[in-house]
Amino acid sequence: MANPEQRQAIEELVYRSCLALDDRDFKGFLALCEEDFHYSITTYSPEIRKDMVWLDHDRKGLDTLLTNLPRHNSDHSPITRHATVYTVDVGDGTATVVSALQVFRTQLDGGASELFAVGRFHDTVKLNGAGLKLAKRVVKLDTRLLGYGYHIPF
Amino acid sequence: MSKNAEQWQARPNFPSTHYVDARIYSDQQIFEEEKEKLFRPAWIIACHESEISAAFDYRLFTHPAGVPLIAVRGDDNKVRAFYNICPHRGNTLLYDPAGNAKRVTCIFHQWSFDTRGACTDISRAEQGYQDRFCKEDASLREVRCEVGFGGFVWVNITDDAPPLAEFLGGAMDILAPFLEEPLEVFHFHKAHVCTNFKLWHDTNSEFYHDYLHYFNRITGMMQPGYFERKYTGFPNGHATVGSMQIKYDKYEGSKERAVGWPGLAPGGWFMVDVFPGMTYNLRTSVLRMDTAIPLGPNEALIEFRGLGLKRDTPEERAERIFDHNMIWGPFGRNLHEDLLAVHGQGRGLRTGTDARWILQGREENSTIHDEIGMRHYYAEWARRMGRAPFDPFREGKSEPVRAVA
Repeated sequence: MANPEQRQAIEELVYRSCLALDDRDFKGFLALCEEDFHYSITTYSPEIRKDMVWLDHDRKGLDTLLTNLPRHNSDHSPITRHATVYTVDVGDGTATVVSALQVFRTQLDGGASELFAVGRFHDTVKLNGAGLKLAKRVVKLDTRLLGYGYHIPF
Repeated sequence: MSKNAEQWQARPNFPSTHYVDARIYSDQQIFEEEKEKLFRPAWIIACHESEISAAFDYRLFTHPAGVPLIAVRGDDNKVRAFYNICPHRGNTLLYDPAGNAKRVTCIFHQWSFDTRGACTDISRAEQGYQDRFCKEDASLREVRCEVGFGGFVWVNITDDAPPLAEFLGGAMDILAPFLEEPLEVFHFHKAHVCTNFKLWHDTNSEFYHDYLHYFNRITGMMQPGYFERKYTGFPNGHATVGSMQIKYDKYEGSKERAVGWPGLAPGGWFMVDVFPGMTYNLRTSVLRMDTAIPLGPNEALIEFRGLGLKRDTPEERAERIFDHNMIWGPFGRNLHEDLLAVHGQGRGLRTGTDARWILQGREENSTIHDEIGMRHYYAEWARRMGRAPFDPFREGKSEPVRAVA
């Protein structure tokens, strides 16, 4: 069980990670991550009855991906990540954090917002005193129908 | 110099085989005819055999003509396909997209069926029907089903259609050497896009749009051999694209594909476009299968599958998934770009936009930027639809419908 100060710091880390990605501040996002950070997006397909991995990168791979993205064509509509931290379980030097995630997409023309995806963050946070950082993030998506898609990780 | 309205409406200065009327992508009547004349007689991929590997495994599939189907592996290991419609009151029989069911029981009145399509039980049959109606009168509607060409489960809802091999002709010969081992699906997702299904197949039928993809420009277009890739047309509207050697290591963050594919040269890439809306796409370590399902003149659902070898070790499978995700996953580089482009076409070609002609006029000796792949498709479209794609409403110059590209 996290103490109130730990919990507040962990929640703020999760929320800052959302804000950085929402702002496409990729360097700012990676600054919140450990050197051995690992990021993946997974989901379960009831159609083929299998767990699937849709994205899987270590920190270097994620850094390269985020550097490459501006060279590609993509949808320029901004997305907004809304996370709510549900549980924080503190272990030996790390905390396991589960957050609900909703992602909204806002159309550039007219500004209509629509729900894009729902799922959960399963984060591992390394507890380094005041300098909490993300060691691992698994985005478990419930939504599998993403229209014409998106390039930037959730 | 820009065009005025008259110039915009004027037919392109191409042979009539080299452009189509934009309204074939938005007209409701044409869309309804396509379901009947293109999809209903065609063999369509419903799923892969690995999705129903055990006895009684089933998989649901909505046929592009609109018919809900169940593909199921029977107790005799044979794969059959039936309408997912109860012959009693028309209720849906199976609801979950996949599962295992020794007995298919309708939730409405508990009529039961086995995996060979026979009705095994009618609740209180004698009391209600006496001797006027019995189990033998209540079988499921079975449709033709064949498993092949990479272990895919093909269905055909027209009883007297030619066999699958005859439908495909020689189009699959180019891939046959690479489909000898059992395969397994590791990826499935759908994309719902406001566009016409033909526009997705068009994208899979021409590579001039490699300009859309930074990844393909770097690893393909700028590499030796790219402009020698050739299209070959086959009867019934199918087409193939020959291979080249993709230089994956030219894209930062990518790497030489270590796993590869049995018999395929490193960096190899073959494609087979199957009329009217499916594509085999084999690139080095992954086979991708697209199945386009039309939902409306400007609405399509596209099913994407990624397959590896059934014998893969966990490490090999992880490599294939990584390769797949880099370009073809929902967050991959190329798939999003392709979907974004056909979404844009859907916006540009929908009813009321005054889009007029779609050009398919590039001729480069059937090589990679030639648009013969699309022309070949629309020659078959014309033959089956009885309409000329360049003049679908017979408003222009009177020309016979052409059956060849």
